Amino acid sequence: MIKYLLKVNDVKEALIKKRENPAFAFYAGGTEINRLNSTLNYEGAISLEGLGLDKIEVTKYGVKIGACVTLQNLIDSNEIPEYLKEAAKFCDSRTIRCNATIGGNLAFGSDDSYLMPTLLAAKARLLTSGLTANDVFTEDNMPIREYHSNHESFSNTLLVAIVLPLEERVVLSKRFAKTSHAHSAVCVSFGAKKTNNKLDEVRIFAAIKGSGVQRFSDVENSIENNAFNSSADVEFAIANEINAVDDLTGSASYKKYITSVAVAQMYDDAKGVK
Amino acid sequence: MKYINCIINGKDIELKYKDGMCLREALFLAGYNSVRDSDSGEGFAGSDTVIIDDIPAFASLMSPLQVEGKTIRTAESLGNTRNVNFVQQAMIDAGIVQSAYNAPAAALLLTWLLEHVENPTKEQIKDVLSSLFIRDAGYENYYLAVKLATEIRDFGEYRTKIATEYREQLKYVGKNISKIDGASLVSAEKCFTEDKASKDAYALVVLRSPHAHAYITSIDTSKAEALNGVVKVYTHLNTPQTHYTHAGQGAPEPSPHDKRLFNEKVRMVGDRVAAVVAVDKETALKARDLIEVEYEVLKPVLTVEDAQAEDAPRVHNSKISFGVGAPDNLDELNKDCDPRDGIVHYPFPLHANVKKNLASEAKGAIGDVDKAFAESDAVVERTYRTNQIQCTPLEHSVCFAKVELGRLVLHSSTQVPYHVRRVVARLCDLPHSKVRVVKERVGGAYGSKQDVTVEDLVGYAAWDTGLEIFYQNNREEQFLTTATRHPMKITVKMGGNKDGQITAIEMLVEANTGCYGQHCLTVPMNACSKVLPLFKVDNMRFDVLTYYTNIAMVGAYQGYGAPKGTYAAMCTVAELADKLGLDYLDVIKKNHVEEGYMLEILRGLGEGREGNVVPVGSCGLEPAITQGAQMIEWGKKEVSEDPNWKIGKGFAIIQQGSGLPGLDHSNAWAKLTTDGSVELFSGGADLGTGLDTVSAKVACENLKVPMDKITITSGDTSSTTFDTGAYASSGTYFSGNASRLAAEDLKKAIIKEAAFQMEEKEEDLYLEYPGKVVSEKTKAELDYATMCHTALSGTGNGQIMGKGSFTTMVNSIPYGAHFAQVAVNTKTGEVKVQKFYALQDAGTPINPELAECQIYGAVLKSIGHSLYEGIEYSEDGIPQNANFTDYCAPMINEMPDDFKVKLIDIDDIEGPYGAKSISEIATNGAAPAIAIAIHDAVGIWCRSWPFTSEKILKELGKIK
Repeated sequence: MIKYLLKVNDVKEALIKKRENPAFAFYAGGTEINRLNSTLNYEGAISLEGLGLDKIEVTKYGVKIGACVTLQNLIDSNEIPEYLKEAAKFCDSRTIRCNATIGGNLAFGSDDSYLMPTLLAAKARLLTSGLTANDVFTEDNMPIREYHSNHESFSNTLLVAIVLPLEERVVLSKRFAKTSHAHSAVCVSFGAKKTNNKLDEVRIFAAIKGSGVQRFSDVENSIENNAFNSSADVEFAIANEINAVDDLTGSASYKKYITSVAVAQMYDDAKGVK
Repeated sequence: MKYINCIINGKDIELKYKDGMCLREALFLAGYNSVRDSDSGEGFAGSDTVIIDDIPAFASLMSPLQVEGKTIRTAESLGNTRNVNFVQQAMIDAGIVQSAYNAPAAALLLTWLLEHVENPTKEQIKDVLSSLFIRDAGYENYYLAVKLATEIRDFGEYRTKIATEYREQLKYVGKNISKIDGASLVSAEKCFTEDKASKDAYALVVLRSPHAHAYITSIDTSKAEALNGVVKVYTHLNTPQTHYTHAGQGAPEPSPHDKRLFNEKVRMVGDRVAAVVAVDKETALKARDLIEVEYEVLKPVLTVEDAQAEDAPRVHNSKISFGVGAPDNLDELNKDCDPRDGIVHYPFPLHANVKKNLASEAKGAIGDVDKAFAESDAVVERTYRTNQIQCTPLEHSVCFAKVELGRLVLHSSTQVPYHVRRVVARLCDLPHSKVRVVKERVGGAYGSKQDVTVEDLVGYAAWDTGLEIFYQNNREEQFLTTATRHPMKITVKMGGNKDGQITAIEMLVEANTGCYGQHCLTVPMNACSKVLPLFKVDNMRFDVLTYYTNIAMVGAYQGYGAPKGTYAAMCTVAELADKLGLDYLDVIKKNHVEEGYMLEILRGLGEGREGNVVPVGSCGLEPAITQGAQMIEWGKKEVSEDPNWKIGKGFAIIQQGSGLPGLDHSNAWAKLTTDGSVELFSGGADLGTGLDTVSAKVACENLKVPMDKITITSGDTSSTTFDTGAYASSGTYFSGNASRLAAEDLKKAIIKEAAFQMEEKEEDLYLEYPGKVVSEKTKAELDYATMCHTALSGTGNGQIMGKGSFTTMVNSIPYGAHFAQVAVNTKTGEVKVQKFYALQDAGTPINPELAECQIYGAVLKSIGHSLYEGIEYSEDGIPQNANFTDYCAPMINEMPDDFKVKLIDIDDIEGPYGAKSISEIATNGAAPAIAIAIHDAVGIWCRSWPFTSEKILKELGKIK
């Protein structure tokens, strides 16, 4: 449980406080930091409450979701596409959903993240804020995969918003866990732009417990190049690319199998194969 | 202490807190006792639910710093025990307020829901309840509660039927009448043990073993003892040598006395190494960290196979002794024991051999089994395995002890107050009369509180120090040190003929009792004794072997051994039917027992003694099977629109007992007070199941008084009479019958006194509602109040009282049949329980609405152990999932889509007003019903718990 909570008036002040207190965490819902057996261990935090990061708005660039928007806000909003609502529902506890935030979920970056694979498959972008060495306030706009790939280097950066592209994409997600509240063995997502029955800009990501969030770039390319004859080919290709380990959620072979089967099914569904 | 300002339940409050304290602790400290802890801050169980600025939140996941200036709502805002709100009342009336540790949180959430959605859908209710772990009553009647709440809000009355009522001629028994402690529980009245502890009580914390199997080679407590605020540090070096068993069973216990308060050898992760008593918990925890321990780590024994190995380490390389029946070669047996292992004392022989890790053995047979197998048309032999399932009551095991007027007083959440008293008195070397155990409301038990796992140490420490001491497990300690189901390997051999007749059954049960032997004989025997008597089979044989290992604490769990034996036996019947090419339903119909069938097999199935051979009494098996088959449309093949999903059906017949005839004993007494109202004193331990309501109903029925004129005191060893406790499904049958007998005795006393005062003959008098005596001859009337006043007015005959003592050699066996329809995805291995119908003969259901909810709860527990739950270990014996999330406890989304309970109306001649036991039996059917349904769907047999997607995929050949 945190012992100190710093209140700030704006994003820049939050960044300054973070620089002054590098051991403090940015703090939204607190559902992960304060949870029993959390891997996050902070005595102090900088509250993001009241900074206006809890808004959802449609802009010309996309649907802009403030980092402090809760998972339940996503579900309740008319602006949020169905695929992200479904991903938010992967968190089965309503009370947790009322407090856990989209920014927190991404910043925590867990290997059974509810949202990360879906946001990656959706080609979402991140708006971040930071301070230069000279305390100059900066803002950045980056693909979410960049944040994901270099997660550690963003520890002093504040996630401000997530932007979902306005372009129409097929995004399908599936979560495999022993129970509704258990950690998932695999949370997998498939995204693509569909034009004249052809899948382009394919993104396939899976959060695999014990092995992290993985991208299947070769399979993505092969799908875009029409290199597969059927979903069975997709299944085979995915199975060969997955990195998985045995743990409480399931064996490595189970995780590989279930991910490949799920992706193959999503591939068929995206193509409209009955 | 620091403080923040906030608004709590409409009032400006300065909320005190310490750095690092969570909001829940701060609220509890401030007296908001509805905000409880069930998961040590895991964010799972929801007992800590509050509403902050109109949004539900878990207070354990929040810092008090987050609520400065905010509005907090707790369940105390809804009402109190005298004025519950309409949602709370509907919850009581729907039967879902049982052990109720989460009931205030549920009431808060449902009230909040109804404030935002006038008439919520089932999905909306489900969504809100997704944050609450409900283990006692399942979730099904929560939908009913919301419906009732909206009806009373909109129409001023309930328009939906709550539960079928029984026995038209009776006023209270068989009727849906609000549980008598319902308002107290749902409104968060301070009625649990933790609520009784003094705020300045000393804290006790336990240092626990990090090793599964090790000798303590040195222990240095000097630094801990030197810490300011520490009163005492206990280890094996300064505590009694007394060996005892945790098992709260009738004495002499059928369990070995194989542990001390602290042992020189630790035998599981979490075993006690030391305990610190200090001025507060913070100090005690600091002191605990200062204790230095060195271990000689030994190889752990984790499975039955490990224990059976020729070179297996001995879990108890102990000196053995016997109360009676010592073998002639005792000296020989004690030759190479290690004094560090202590003693294993058997009150009577259990046919054990600690040198081979064998904790107990029992065997028996009827008929000629080998001959029957040889002559059978088909024989199958299959091995089934069950795993370690935790009871997971919401309320952690807890005790508050103090010395008061020269007597040790324990407030506890226990199923067995009298057994607690016996164990603690022995450890403290006190007469039983000097120990008082008060059972407070119990926030879930399911068997885990049949064992004396905290009261022994807390009681001893309080008596030793003379201080008020409070202790409560955290969730991890609850997982490791309280009862779990015995993992079992059960091999069933079964013969049958082409006409469907089962010719012979043989059961070999090899059970894992963990590191201590509580229930080591009786739980595994139950795997046979509650299964074999279901069958009209002339040739049966069983052998039950139980082994010591180094896994977390094993013991009693609702159903005892029956869920495991039923799983193995019913699946074998289904496999035999498959082999014979017969319909499983037809085979069951041909072989199940019926009223009057003499149960010869019982002779060998006594608990450590010869069993009673009796005929089957009232038996609802046939109607349960027939009606269940109709409900689920047995024989009709269902087809899914999605070809990946295959649908199948299964069922199992089940039985349990109603207490332990010849062993259990219940007593009660009743008195008329000075205004003619009634006080009933029952030794029975109400675990939230409604036992006090049962007692009240049977007493009021007898005495012709309204329910609001009776008060019950129960489970208090100093103000009530002896009762063996609430286990083995004994509550209604034994304690309820004792209350009935006490009321009948009081009725006789009333008639006698009335005859004296009215100058009439006793035979001319009868009782009439509401509490008066009427003369059939003269039509004269005397109300109880006048009669009592006269009797106690200085010249009268004194207190009008009655007492009841119930024992029996007759067992009223509850029966049932549970049906399941499942869908199995052949690509992913996922299993969905689409339908579950539980049909049970419970005799007369005294509390019908509570009975139904208990069955829902028990079935969901057993769906849990069938499909999801289980403790897992590393190779060195360290439990890997001692928390709810990793353990995979089922929540509302694991409920069957279509879930029904149907009570078969059977009257029984022995039970109080024809009642039998209800809820324990309901854990027996799901595993075999689901396993058989999975086979029907996809053709594979699930022969080990839990039936995970991964196991199904392996059986389907999809993965290796």
